Amino acid sequence: MLPSQRKRKITISSLSFLFGFSFFPRRPLAMDLMHHSSTFLLPTIPSDHRPSLTAAQLRLCADGGANRVYDEMPRLFPQEDASDVRRRYKPDVIKGDMDSIRTEVLDFYTSLGTEIIDKSHDQDTTDLHKCVTYIRDFAPDLDKSNLCILVAGALGGRFDHEMGNLNVLCRFSSLRIVLLSDDSLIHLLPRTHHHEIHILSSIEGPHCGLMPIGMPSSSSTTTGLQWDLNETEMRFGGLISTSNIVTGEKVTVRSDSDLLWTISIKKL
Amino acid sequence: MPRLFPQEDASDVRRRYKPDVIKGDMDSIRTEVLDFYTTLGTEIIDKSHDQDTTDLHKCVTYIRDFAPDLDKSNLCILVAGALGGRFDHEMGNLNVLCRFSSLRIVLLSDDSLIHLLPRTHHHEIHILSSIEGPHCGLIPIGMPSSSSTTTGLQWDLNETEMRFGGLISTSNIVTGEKVTVQSDSDLLWTISIKKL
Repeated sequence: MLPSQRKRKITISSLSFLFGFSFFPRRPLAMDLMHHSSTFLLPTIPSDHRPSLTAAQLRLCADGGANRVYDEMPRLFPQEDASDVRRRYKPDVIKGDMDSIRTEVLDFYTSLGTEIIDKSHDQDTTDLHKCVTYIRDFAPDLDKSNLCILVAGALGGRFDHEMGNLNVLCRFSSLRIVLLSDDSLIHLLPRTHHHEIHILSSIEGPHCGLMPIGMPSSSSTTTGLQWDLNETEMRFGGLISTSNIVTGEKVTVRSDSDLLWTISIKKL
Repeated sequence: MPRLFPQEDASDVRRRYKPDVIKGDMDSIRTEVLDFYTTLGTEIIDKSHDQDTTDLHKCVTYIRDFAPDLDKSNLCILVAGALGGRFDHEMGNLNVLCRFSSLRIVLLSDDSLIHLLPRTHHHEIHILSSIEGPHCGLIPIGMPSSSSTTTGLQWDLNETEMRFGGLISTSNIVTGEKVTVQSDSDLLWTISIKKL
């Protein structure tokens, strides 16, 4: 990363609160190779490389995600005044169909100047989808080639919400979007690229999996797993790779179909 | 189980709710738990040599093959604690629904219920609104669906195409006591469970 290259940090929220930032320069030689790394999870990286709500250019909450931020941010700073914490971590935008956000939460953030974008007329897309669209279209002159959107609180809860969040990965397959829960991290590996996944064993693994989402895969090949795939067919109703184990610092994947990559997150 | 009966002796509760069988690769069960249930007569089936199937898959196989003379035409397998936790485990559990598509298997979590609607049948889902709904969804797991049709939903499908990367039915709402579904592809049906 060039010293002069300024990090673009964009924060959005789905079920809870999300952080987006750029961390990888594109290498001009490896045109069909995508690199993946979970450095955003490291607690010890320097503050200017770490996703930070206070340093984010844009913070977005998706509807009820604002309830989570309002309720839970003060719990992370129990020794401080709750209103001060809420002010410091206020979203810039709250977007969605507004059927989940509590009235007092909406009023609180409105009074602080948060932009409220009510999309209740649009019932064809989920709140997360609306937020990702907003980020994609935000500040069109901004260089977003290194954009990576992190979605916290993306799993658990209602199963249909979870599937809707997976579908956002598939619908925005040209964007780097990572779904996070307490236990797991998920992102899409588009079939258009070979993939190198750099494993940070202090914070993730060893349990992992590869799933053909939406379409079977006739042929997938990996390195770096305990049970590697070798032009292996995968499909729901047959073999999918779950409870696999990463064996080193790098996993490579190539497939004729879009795959979901998932790895466990270690409790710190 | 003892936490559900805090006023009773923990060992009494555990005895009352002891499993008949514990099956799997045994890499998660704690030693004192294994010893406790072994002394109560629970059958322990160690399948640690089999790394090609998940623990749930092993258990469903056991049930399918258990007491072959028994009439299992009305068998329905309920899987509690099937969601949440590690995502790859969750996907493995969904895959068990797909691999055993001729069996009725229902995955349960605190928030949701999921089961497979095989493409080989039309489906009538009877909604018990005191305990489930109204939020529901239909998800084409594994293969896109060229044509799905429903009745009884706020946003019904009408020979609608569904696929990951395009439209899938989530955050839908059941509008009455019955939902019907027919599709050219296996679909996952999910409905929210009400907190009592």
